[in-house]
Amino acid sequence: MEVWDARSILLKMMRVKLDDKLLLQIEKPAKYTGNEWNMVRKDPDAVQVRFAFAFPDDYEIGMSHLGMKILYHTMNKREDTYCERVFAPWVDMERLMRERGIPLYALETYTPLSEFDIIGFTLQYEMSYTNILNMLDLGGVPVLAKDRDESHPFVCAGGPCAVNPEPLADFIDFFVIGEGEEVIHEIIDAYKEWKSSGGNRAAFLEQVAGIEGVYVPSLYEVIYYDDGTILDILPKSEKVPDVVRRRVVRDLDQVDFPDDIIVPYIGTVHDRIMLELFRGCIRGCRFCQAGFIYRPVRERSPEKLNELARSSVRKTGYEEISLVSLSTSDYSALPAFCDELLAFTEKEHVNLSLPSLRVDNFSLGLMERASKIRKSGLTFAPEAGTQRLRDVINKGVTDEDLKSSVQLAVAGGWNSVKLYFMLGLPTETMEDVDGIADMGISLVESCRGIADKNGGSLQITLSTSCFVPKPFTPFQWEPMDDIETLTEKQHHLKDRIRRRTRKIVYHYHNPRISHMEAVLARGDRRLGKVIYTAWKMGARFDGWDEHFSFERWQEAFRANGLDSAFYANRRRDFSEVLPWDHIDIGVTKEFLIRECRKAYEGDLTRNCASGCSHCGATVYGAGICFKQKKNQDQAGG
Amino acid sequence: MARALRFRFSRDERLKYIAHLDVLRLFERAIKRAGLPVAYTQGFNPRQKIVFGLPIAVGLTSSAEYADIEFDEEMTPESFISRINQSLPEGIEVMEAVPVRNMGRIMSLIASARYEIAFTIPQAMDQDTLSGIVIDFLDQEDITVMKKTKKGMRPVNIRPLIYSLSVRKPDGDGYIMEAFLSAGAENNLRPDLLMQAFAQKTGLELTVESIHRRAMFASDFNEWKSPLEVADD
Repeated sequence: MEVWDARSILLKMMRVKLDDKLLLQIEKPAKYTGNEWNMVRKDPDAVQVRFAFAFPDDYEIGMSHLGMKILYHTMNKREDTYCERVFAPWVDMERLMRERGIPLYALETYTPLSEFDIIGFTLQYEMSYTNILNMLDLGGVPVLAKDRDESHPFVCAGGPCAVNPEPLADFIDFFVIGEGEEVIHEIIDAYKEWKSSGGNRAAFLEQVAGIEGVYVPSLYEVIYYDDGTILDILPKSEKVPDVVRRRVVRDLDQVDFPDDIIVPYIGTVHDRIMLELFRGCIRGCRFCQAGFIYRPVRERSPEKLNELARSSVRKTGYEEISLVSLSTSDYSALPAFCDELLAFTEKEHVNLSLPSLRVDNFSLGLMERASKIRKSGLTFAPEAGTQRLRDVINKGVTDEDLKSSVQLAVAGGWNSVKLYFMLGLPTETMEDVDGIADMGISLVESCRGIADKNGGSLQITLSTSCFVPKPFTPFQWEPMDDIETLTEKQHHLKDRIRRRTRKIVYHYHNPRISHMEAVLARGDRRLGKVIYTAWKMGARFDGWDEHFSFERWQEAFRANGLDSAFYANRRRDFSEVLPWDHIDIGVTKEFLIRECRKAYEGDLTRNCASGCSHCGATVYGAGICFKQKKNQDQAGG
Repeated sequence: MARALRFRFSRDERLKYIAHLDVLRLFERAIKRAGLPVAYTQGFNPRQKIVFGLPIAVGLTSSAEYADIEFDEEMTPESFISRINQSLPEGIEVMEAVPVRNMGRIMSLIASARYEIAFTIPQAMDQDTLSGIVIDFLDQEDITVMKKTKKGMRPVNIRPLIYSLSVRKPDGDGYIMEAFLSAGAENNLRPDLLMQAFAQKTGLELTVESIHRRAMFASDFNEWKSPLEVADD
């Protein structure tokens, strides 16, 4: 009876009609039909707030995103709210939708995007920005915030890239800075209040601007110097704060974590249960934005995690659990937790995958026990080829660490090793670039005997990405290497490897995409025009090599009288006002400057577990800072 | 009560857009959610012991798909059906199940299948005219088309793979072709390929609207039987 009711509600509300002629022409039609296991069904007429959670990329990527699962679950627990999902249709589907005038719709009820109350985009990577414009346009929502009126949804955005919201200021009504699972309820409550008050659009924006963590770009004015740098960023009214503070969940055990996640029919990138052990990272690698913008480290309790593992398997039927966090080995209760978890997964025929583990005897034993699948590749991320440069970036790994880890792994039967590096790190010289090749070669040599004993030869893959300076890192003032320099370094490395060995495969990133990523990452709001022009010219799925066009972006820059090198390749002075200076993530600018200076000295900074380095994140009074402080107090008193 | 069951399931419009491998995964997860005591294979990568009869193509609906499943403990067909159906998404449903003696033979058993293929043609045509065309089509001894085989695209005479073919005109637009075709691991004739050949040889500009698998059969001493009827073999 219940099933039938749900179905009739669905049929009643279905707005967009799809048929075979459309769906059988495109790749993976199940990306567009919804109805997956655990999809939430509600009567849209019975809720007060309809929220469209929009992921600006393909379904297979978006459905792998943990943040969406958390917020979908959290919002749908409310009786007054229905949260639905929207993804960027792949180019084949988009073409047919435009041909037939089919608006972009949410998968739950096939309702066009334009009919929602709030549309929330998640900003996971800069190269997805043009997809946001495209999705709004396809959904019948004006792309520019200033063109929206009371008949249109509010468009908000959050996620890691929202720490510098400026390049999207023209398109987004309000941003949510930081973690969403608590603030989203405050926003929904405010929306309900506003809706019943009958106020205008501006009234709502002013109201949410008062919520901690919410940033309304239209309520701030940016004043520039003639040279394009910023003189000041000022709130337009006294009611809005000068600085918007990032939201942080103090206790992860107190917020909802989903165990009834949607199980897609088609394979997605991460098609498994994800258990988030903790948020934040104790390490403080200086290039890594995630290492700063999620501070302080807060752990979920092992009891809670084991409970979640059990209920998730029961409710989804998934055959794999992955432990996710920025550095799994740093979870304080890892051995005991894994023992209990493995007892469960082994009994239930569930695989456990353990990404981002540091390789040592313990973790290898764990991996061996956890994964019954054939020993495939192990991945290491030394990030730089010489000790000097690794010290600059505060990556506390030595050549010896790496050599012994790889030897251990190879002796344990893993015969394919992937090593990740970055090219273009601050202070990098050709010697450092050579170091990457040399490290690979010396690993091949040092493992020769061991690998042979196991009847296989060691396959090493070296990958280099291009270092992109990101906001809120000690390298936020650094120039990025220009495209020519990066290309030269890549070719140099390729040559050096090829001359020495055939046992190493070398992959590298497209430096032109990285250049654009750098521009968008540290851009100001003048970039809105460039993004708009590029989208008009056909840009979308820019993170996908086959759809990215560097020439198109360069033309968009020229059309708007701007230069991409100003954003990517210019060194900023510590005193310069940065486009994101009115955002406060907890970690202070003083700390970042100190870290930048230490980088140039090659001085290491200790991690949060071994002692506080006074980054500023203690203001949140949570997690490891709090624990550390308590320990110190106890020791002192 | 049995350690292994053979079951029939259906798939309707709501789940016709997923591929065969997605259907397999869907069942594996439904079985896990249902907490059924399914048996697992030994070895490095244990898998559930479940074997499907014939792959189901994207776009195809069906009322007759078959699979064999093995358990670690005794299981009644009734209990299996009710438990699995609670864990299957809307659009796929297990209809019946019987104990099976030789678990896993299902793949080699399937020998033929019956389809209903809905199609349209630009000009209206009465049923007799169209039936005449079908009879003429069947009268040919050689209907050679390019067919995807294990060795790539090859010319294959599909006439011996067509056991019967007839057309009817239901109320409303379009026509229904009822096709009884050779099926299985060897000599499988896909209904879409049949329609392609039919269009090609008759010059009809037809559009296939939908394909439904009505039944699947095992060959049992020159008699067509439901795979459930031969589960005792």
